[in-house]
Amino acid sequence: MIAAENPFARVWGAYLRLIARFPSVGQIVPFLPLIALWALVVELGVFPRAFFPGPVDVVQSFITLTWKGILPAYLEDSVVRLLVGAAVGIAVGIPLGLLVGLSSKAHKALWPILLFFQAIGDIAWLPLLIIWFGFGLQTMTFVIVYTVLFPVVLNTVLGVRSIPLELHRAGRSLGAPPWRIVTEIVVPGALPNIITGLRNGLGYGWRALIAAEMIVGTSGIGFLMFDSRRAGSVVEILLGMIVLGLLWYAVDALILAPLERATGQRWGLVAR
Amino acid sequence: MKSLSIRNLSKTYFDPYAGKHVTAVQAVSLDVPEGEFVCVVGPSGCGKTTILNMIAGFIPLSGGEIVVDGRSVSGPGPDRGVVFQSHALFPWKTVLENVAFGPKMRGVPLADREAIAREYLALAGLAHAADRYPNELSGGMQQRVGVARALANQPAVLLMDEPFASVDAQTRMTLQEELTRIWQERRPTIIFITHDVPEAVFLANRVVVLSKGRVLKEIDIDLPRPRVWDALIEDERFKTLSAQVLQLVRSA
Amino acid sequence: MTAPAVTGASPRPSAALKRLTGAVTFLLPLVVLVIVWEAAVRITQVHPGVFPGVGAVMKAGAESIRDGSLWMHVGASMGRVMLGTVLAILVGVPLGVLMGVSPAVSTFLTPLFRFFSVLAGIAWIPIATLWFGYGFGAIIFVIFNAVFFVVAYNTLLGVSGIPITLRNAAASLGAGPWTMLREVLLPGALPNIVTGIRTGLGFAWRGLIAAEMIATNVGLGYMLFLARDFYRTELIVFGMVVIGILWLLIDRLILAPLERRTIERWGLVRS
Repeated sequence: MIAAENPFARVWGAYLRLIARFPSVGQIVPFLPLIALWALVVELGVFPRAFFPGPVDVVQSFITLTWKGILPAYLEDSVVRLLVGAAVGIAVGIPLGLLVGLSSKAHKALWPILLFFQAIGDIAWLPLLIIWFGFGLQTMTFVIVYTVLFPVVLNTVLGVRSIPLELHRAGRSLGAPPWRIVTEIVVPGALPNIITGLRNGLGYGWRALIAAEMIVGTSGIGFLMFDSRRAGSVVEILLGMIVLGLLWYAVDALILAPLERATGQRWGLVAR
Repeated sequence: MKSLSIRNLSKTYFDPYAGKHVTAVQAVSLDVPEGEFVCVVGPSGCGKTTILNMIAGFIPLSGGEIVVDGRSVSGPGPDRGVVFQSHALFPWKTVLENVAFGPKMRGVPLADREAIAREYLALAGLAHAADRYPNELSGGMQQRVGVARALANQPAVLLMDEPFASVDAQTRMTLQEELTRIWQERRPTIIFITHDVPEAVFLANRVVVLSKGRVLKEIDIDLPRPRVWDALIEDERFKTLSAQVLQLVRSA
Repeated sequence: MTAPAVTGASPRPSAALKRLTGAVTFLLPLVVLVIVWEAAVRITQVHPGVFPGVGAVMKAGAESIRDGSLWMHVGASMGRVMLGTVLAILVGVPLGVLMGVSPAVSTFLTPLFRFFSVLAGIAWIPIATLWFGYGFGAIIFVIFNAVFFVVAYNTLLGVSGIPITLRNAAASLGAGPWTMLREVLLPGALPNIVTGIRTGLGFAWRGLIAAEMIATNVGLGYMLFLARDFYRTELIVFGMVVIGILWLLIDRLILAPLERRTIERWGLVRS
């Protein structure tokens, strides 16, 4: 234990109390020394500035691109693509997962196929998709749907199969007909796994979207980064990366975390 | 509440490891008249849980017949309420929603089924916990919700599969006393499976001792009610009956 | 329910037979899929440049095996993944342990590593190609950081999640820092480390294919993209099948056994 009169310990204690009161502060403060270090390295001129721009340059480019309307437009494109892909992936993935999870025949027939197509991976589809659909929205939508679909299906199956036999039995002995068993027991029981699948799916889908925008895109954050790379503009690449990171925080905080809180945590079913 | 009778019930299944058919239950017959409380005791592997699962309709019969309320039954149904060892409450439903589940499946309107659920929760001494989730309750409270949920569906018979096996000793005694109280108030027909001899003698009107898939002996328990542990623990008749059952179980 | 004791030879199906039937039931749906694929191509008479038949794909595959180009691309891709992943684990695990040991350090650094593990992989391709040029260095960098941040972050979580009672128990039994690391911290964090490796490798594999499409002239991603330039869909489909099989092999031969030995065996599986 550090002695109480140690000034570092006192500052640390104050910091801990602060982040206990305001958890978001604890998510931001650690970045300050990192940004300071970054600025210092840039000021010392260790690397050529064009190669390694500083935080101020990034903020300036953020303001410029936002002012010109390029950044908001690209951001909107990426987010809409992600949301459409996620919505379609969920709409197809959950029913398919329920079917494969509940029917042992469907499981036998479809499980190996699902595993194999999951293994091929979204990005490997890009060349074929470009031939089929050209460089455009359809190609990107296909890639995102594909990426979100598999984690959702596989986790739904896992969730359905992990529901204890007793709960099925309890439902039946309380008089529930088969379709009520699905709506009252199977779906809620699998929900925490479905959300885990969604989290993984969005995590992968996100990366697939960036890759697709780089390779086939004409707009979006991935395109912004790759276009900047062609022009040799490192500032905009860094800006794109930071925006990507922040966007994931937004998706996490606004969509995934509330879902997880509303389901698994209070039910005591939550994974991890 | 109605009667239950099982005739020549038997169960054989194929054991893939042993590579042959194994008989788990052999020609068991048992009559439980309306309003009786029967405990089935026996060592592990005597077939008691298999019998209960057959009555509940969870597993198919190999032979024999189950008659509830004058009708032959197969498959699970709301006429036979089940209280599970692992409580089997729906974790995503509140206590009230769990207890209201059976009436909901029968199409009872929301207000009515909530009234029913509250009535049975009060009977189980849990009126205060209606809006909590099962995960937030102690093991003893979870089992009380399980009993209330089964009773709220007004089954002809109540099947209980070692429901108190995984709660601590003190809670267990309280739960046993409460179950006898509820039984005296409502007079449900109960079949209660246990391996705990004092528990069986404390609860039942009649104890059925099972051994190797057959009924070894039935013993009437003529102890007075209401039964409370403080009185019975010193009671000579209770001690004699317990010793008698214990001997049978150990010889089984 | 205990069965009566069995005497004599057990007629239990042998383990080899079980594995065989398991493999057959796994492969059968895939065989059916291939048949349906070929039937669909024949019935619809689709142009082979849009959707090739099974024969064309097998021919393209045989050709790429004969002229050695398949081995060159597979070798390049696998070599990159292995090098990047091994480097990342060698750096990421010790760093994660160091950060996780002290509650103060781990509280402070967790948000940083979370941020970078969110970005891990593909998002680094543009800047990696600027810093290192198109080629080997950029691709290794992308794979390295895809695995590194995720593994370091998960190790950090694993070590800081070890119950303090376990560390106290080891200390009171006389464990020094080195023993503590070897006997308590590493095994305790291992399930998390394995989870991190699985997630990171998933990101790395995708990052690899994407980076090879953009930034190199050898590797599976390049092979697919080159075939696209010449509208050789049969070679693309063959490449996709190879990618799928390689990932299944990585999963079955490396990741699944690793998980069985640690997470499942210790009863720590989270579900």
